[in-house]
Amino acid sequence: MNMSKNDSGSESEGEELPLLEPSKKAIYNREGLLECLEEIRWPEDVKWIHKLTIDHVQDQDIDVNDDITREMAFYTQALEGVRQAYAKVEKMGGIPFFRPADYYAEMVKSDSHMLRIKSRILQDKKQIVEADERKKSREAKKISKQVQSQKLKERAKSKKDDIESVKKWRKQRQQSGYAPGKDEELLNSMLESGTATATGKKRPGVAPGDRTGGISKRGAKFGKGIPNSGRPGGGKNREYKDSKFGNGGRKGGRKQNTAETTNDIKGFNRGFKVNKRRKI
Amino acid sequence: MGKKRKAGDGASVEDSGKKVEEMAVERPKRTLLGWKDKTEVVEEKDDESGQVFRNKEKVLVSCSRRITFRYRHLMTDIVSLLPHCKKESKIESNEIKAQSINELVELRNCSSCLFFECRKLKDLYLWLAKSPNGPSVKFLVNTVHTMEEMKLTGNHLKGSRPILSFSSNFDNDPRWKLMKEIITQIFGIPKDHRKVKPFFDHIYTFSIADEHIWFRNYQVVTQGGIEKTTLVEVGPRFCLNPIRIFAGSFGGPTLYENPLYVSPNQIRALEKEKKTGKYLNKIKAKAKRKVHELANPIEGDEFADMWRED
Repeated sequence: MNMSKNDSGSESEGEELPLLEPSKKAIYNREGLLECLEEIRWPEDVKWIHKLTIDHVQDQDIDVNDDITREMAFYTQALEGVRQAYAKVEKMGGIPFFRPADYYAEMVKSDSHMLRIKSRILQDKKQIVEADERKKSREAKKISKQVQSQKLKERAKSKKDDIESVKKWRKQRQQSGYAPGKDEELLNSMLESGTATATGKKRPGVAPGDRTGGISKRGAKFGKGIPNSGRPGGGKNREYKDSKFGNGGRKGGRKQNTAETTNDIKGFNRGFKVNKRRKI
Repeated sequence: MGKKRKAGDGASVEDSGKKVEEMAVERPKRTLLGWKDKTEVVEEKDDESGQVFRNKEKVLVSCSRRITFRYRHLMTDIVSLLPHCKKESKIESNEIKAQSINELVELRNCSSCLFFECRKLKDLYLWLAKSPNGPSVKFLVNTVHTMEEMKLTGNHLKGSRPILSFSSNFDNDPRWKLMKEIITQIFGIPKDHRKVKPFFDHIYTFSIADEHIWFRNYQVVTQGGIEKTTLVEVGPRFCLNPIRIFAGSFGGPTLYENPLYVSPNQIRALEKEKKTGKYLNKIKAKAKRKVHELANPIEGDEFADMWRED
């Protein structure tokens, strides 16, 4: 492989040379060029207003391959040129330089073309804003997940602490010689079930007919998931379906329409697609 | 509106100017648009000899047949930038000869010519020629962007005179000097041309970088005063690589030849050549491997029979 590469290399190098090195046979007739220039050039004392040429002193060579610096160099050259030209025109006097705002005339680019450019710019801006928003919401979602899990952990921890403290208190009571009374039994049952269902008292946040203990309202958080693990069962879909159809318990008028829901047509299809590209 | 003068009228114009001053009470002249109340401005003179310089440049713009749309758009852009040009229909490739084009230029009363020559639907060559006696320059055109493009957001009056900004290295060498003169004559719009608009709202920059001439067209945008001036690019953009300078128009003896120039055909051929010989190389490599293996036989493994139970 190497050998063959060398072979072909030596052949092609001979051809590549003109790319790198200037050929020495090239004609360069300086006198002829200057003669030609003398022939065609306008008289030396032509007024500047006929030529409108400006010379710009370039300090350093432009790096052609660096787009930004190259364009910047051209821009500064042009701006400098405008300044010089303005000074010269001002000196002459009587000639307006800038176009007044109320001077309308045919332009190089048509109005429709300029409109297209404008819409393109607006579209680009919109896209940037939308992308930013998407990014933000994604990050917010990440953070909210973290916050949620932390909350759940905290809740579990506090519950554990509570139970522990109660146990501690009971031990102390036993040690100090109190017989377990009625309250004690109640507390025991409460601790075992983990909720206050046995009391028959009014439970906060649960409808009176609800036998699920408010699970339907809380969604599926503890519904089908692993109990006490803090992990919700199913995904968003499950949650939504549970809240819509419920899993047990009286619905308490939650599924009845109200004035608002009857007027809401958000969920309906329009029935046909509107072709946005169609010309009106 | 430029005032028309008869040839050799230099002296009499001055006289009439004096007369107007003397008889200032006279009723103003009537024109189609109403009364002309201003005294006519006497045309200024450029030198003491009394000769007035008038730029009567007219440019013929044309292209070859089989030009691609991008290059054609570049041509139409340039036509819209030059109010003093005349557009000619496409020229058959077999008619691209110095004589026939020169005849065309003469027929259309033009004094210079911009000719876009497209070859192989890929390469664009641009001729800048002074007619009928030359000189002419042939360029290869690179990196073409037309005004159509959405990124170039500027706009300016059609027919306003551009300021021509040249980088200082145009004065270093006779060839650049000559090109500068030709460019000023072709791209500069005559002062009193009838289609010219009276303000300066755009500027062309010609700068030499890497032995190429780079062209840019900027709109001058101002928010009151020269200090708050900014520029917005209008387009088109292109880059000219000089190939040759001829003494005549579209021909004649060569005055300059770019030693660094490599034709795009040659570049393409080289690239192609690099890709060739894949199969041959493979065969060569195989043969070489065989020879190598024969020359350096593998020694027998001394532990090969170590675990054989016999």
